[in-house]
Amino acid sequence: MLTASPRNMAIALAAAAAFVIVAALVASGLGAASERVLSVFFISLIAVVGIGIYSGNSGVLSFGHLSFMAVGAYVSALLTLPAAMKAATLPKLPAWLAATELGLFPAILVAIVVTCAFALVVGLAVGRLDGSAATIATLGLLIITHGVIIGWRDVTRGSGTFFGVPRETSLWVAAGWCIAALVVARLYRDSVSGLRLRASRENAIAAGAVGVDMKRERLISWILSAAVMAVSGALIAHFLGAFSPKKFYFVDTFQLLAMLIVGGMTTVTGAVTGAVTITVVTEVLRRFESGFDIGAFTVPQVFGTTQIGIALIILFAMFRKAEGLAGLKEWEERVFTRRGAEKTAATLPAVSDRSALTAEHMTMRFGGLTAVNDVSVTLRPGEIVGLIGPNGSGKTTLLNMLSGVLEPTEGTSRLGETKLDGLPTHRIAELGIARTFQNIRLFPSLTVEQNVLVAGLSTGSGEDARARAEAALARLGVAGHADKDAGTFSYGDQRRIEIARALACQPKLLFLDEPAAGMNREETDALMETLRGLTRELGIGILLVDHDLKLINSLCDRILVLNEGRLIASGAPAEIRRDPAVIEAYLGTSQTQDDPAEPGHQPTEENDP
Amino acid sequence: MDFFLQQTVNAVSLGGTYALLALGLAVVFSIMGLINFAHGELMTIAGYVLMYCGLAGLPFVLSIGLAIGAATVAAVLMERIAFRPVRNASGATMLITSFAVSMVLQVLFQNLISVRSQPVLLPPLLTDSVRMFGFVIGVNKLLSIAATVVMLIFLDWFMKRQKTGIAMRAAAEDFAVARLMGIRANSVIAGAFALSGLLAGVAAVLWVSQRASVDPLMGFTPVLKAFIAAILGGLGSLRGAVAGGFLLGFIEIYLAAYLPPEWQEFRDPIGLVLVVIVLLIRPNGLIPAPALKAHKV
Repeated sequence: MLTASPRNMAIALAAAAAFVIVAALVASGLGAASERVLSVFFISLIAVVGIGIYSGNSGVLSFGHLSFMAVGAYVSALLTLPAAMKAATLPKLPAWLAATELGLFPAILVAIVVTCAFALVVGLAVGRLDGSAATIATLGLLIITHGVIIGWRDVTRGSGTFFGVPRETSLWVAAGWCIAALVVARLYRDSVSGLRLRASRENAIAAGAVGVDMKRERLISWILSAAVMAVSGALIAHFLGAFSPKKFYFVDTFQLLAMLIVGGMTTVTGAVTGAVTITVVTEVLRRFESGFDIGAFTVPQVFGTTQIGIALIILFAMFRKAEGLAGLKEWEERVFTRRGAEKTAATLPAVSDRSALTAEHMTMRFGGLTAVNDVSVTLRPGEIVGLIGPNGSGKTTLLNMLSGVLEPTEGTSRLGETKLDGLPTHRIAELGIARTFQNIRLFPSLTVEQNVLVAGLSTGSGEDARARAEAALARLGVAGHADKDAGTFSYGDQRRIEIARALACQPKLLFLDEPAAGMNREETDALMETLRGLTRELGIGILLVDHDLKLINSLCDRILVLNEGRLIASGAPAEIRRDPAVIEAYLGTSQTQDDPAEPGHQPTEENDP
Repeated sequence: MDFFLQQTVNAVSLGGTYALLALGLAVVFSIMGLINFAHGELMTIAGYVLMYCGLAGLPFVLSIGLAIGAATVAAVLMERIAFRPVRNASGATMLITSFAVSMVLQVLFQNLISVRSQPVLLPPLLTDSVRMFGFVIGVNKLLSIAATVVMLIFLDWFMKRQKTGIAMRAAAEDFAVARLMGIRANSVIAGAFALSGLLAGVAAVLWVSQRASVDPLMGFTPVLKAFIAAILGGLGSLRGAVAGGFLLGFIEIYLAAYLPPEWQEFRDPIGLVLVVIVLLIRPNGLIPAPALKAHKV
């Protein structure tokens, strides 16, 4: 299923195909040399978009993708190599392989299958690591694969040249596969899985909280990108006719990564831009490498002119445009922006299952500090419960435990009969607990609509996701912002967008961590009305953390008070206001009988762990 | 048994060099999140200084000082020229920048010095060996172990007792808060690079003293290993980097010594697979960085 507008997507795909076809027509008019350059360009472009499918969407840079290219190249070449040639150069091949002689197309298909199986095994391992550790692990993958290819002489001819491969990759074969790769990469980026993965790239914790299983999406894109790399490897093998393991090692890895990063790795437009830029610069500089004359001066031969050129382009791009020449948007997303969203008739369904969240003896220790100490709470759909307490009293930590972001040191929680202990955040979101964050966690370079849509798509089996998203945006009054990037809005708007995103998960229970922080009185009052509507009309239960006691007092049915990690009081607002323990916690002394709401506790930035 | 001890000495020697390199990477990574691909070129620079000093007939001890000094200065310059503009960018941006720096330096070495490997004159003492506890050890191995131990003690003292070192540790845990406490970003980062350059310089002297030659790509392989060691130990963790360096050294040497001949060709892949297995059990490395615990939601 596509998450982008079908019209835009059709334009993008048609343009990609047209670009490749026109380039191929021009090159075939210019002669054999141009055809060769363009064929190599197409094959490189396939590899660049292949790496981009994983690295661009997940944000994890990979050095290991050329291993997939190598597997694709060797597997396909072993299948197409003429039997006589195999008998002569690889006498120790198993009989079934020695006799096989396939055409290029079936060989590529087999190569894709084998590479995907390999990628699955590797991906399960790499998927356990994160960020820079994952990047270096992919570097390890490259070295391992290289080492195995060199060591496995009976099949690969070791570090020697693997030759005699039929040269079946013509310009038009490369062009055809290149179009296919561009289409696959572009479709994946705006598929449900691609959107989820991009959300996790922008903010992994928030993605989990709206139901995204990041590991699964990463694995999907990893395998898909491996398949595209296999095609690229098979094509280069059948273009060159002879190759060695060096072809799939560091030099080419860096060249392809340079293309991806200079262009901008988050988009297919960027991959194409980068591949064109680096190829043009390389081709121009190659002519100067052997020395040339400018008027009376003779410039001597300089080793590595192209290398220096590429390095300088990278430095320029990183210093000036760190997100790449093409930026963070596909070209058609800039050109054909959609009109503002129409009035939507969609409404959010009311909560049908009214099971309560019960948490018992929740305790969280960070080293020697006990942030939350033996707290038990119950929360039912349809009620608004306030959670208050001085700074550092453990409110956010409690929310984090209840939503699965932190695993409690002790204590159990369940929703109805379902145990929540040890469940990952995305499973808890799926069960009907949605939340917002104290330090806003939107997906800043996705549009507001995508922010909310990804929540809808990742919960409740993705049913009616678009309707839920639109209804959630309308309810918070931010539907007019739908087409703009979420990161561009004011604090108050971002808070509303975040609540809309949580609402799109169709939650039974909603945890709001300081939703009114950064809002003025009018905005807070409007928010109050919205939240009341959620409980009265939809039956959602709300757990509300805030320092604005006026908001808490007038909105909540019950209030829980934490101090130094302990639950010191719970009850109706009127009872809490008179509770001596609460007054002491807030004012530091039990002598005064002032209402804690009166001294006007200032909303302050709090940074609970 | 003798063979085992002999190999253990080799492992400690090699692991120590990896540990120094991994430490240099970790110091910089822990503070600014940069995986410095150009770390290897710092080694190469130190190697070339050793070579030129040898040609100029300088005493070896002086050459060592100059080589280490050159790597330190080069590291600080590298930060000032190439990494400051991308300081607050994403990890990928910094990594790619460092990779471009590495490429530029390699081409410069190839054009200004030589594409080919150049011999380095070493004092004959280094190639000698001594009999100790009933088995033969190369002097260079012993010196390498001694140098590693001295550097690790120095670093421990520096990080625990020196103001700059304590500032670096603070910056590694939470750079923003460290700056609010009055620690200057420029000086702590420059200090981290100087330290990483120093460590690369020492590692380069140890590396060259085993091989007696230097080429434009000399730093690549050892630093690649150091990356793996740093991950194995826990990226950004200093103790982890040392642990990872030694563990990788042990894995490599013991595999080379005990793997059956028909498996020797697969030594590197097998070693890395062992590393991966360790990482699958401990995804954050042997000794995870403290910054991971301070992770906020």
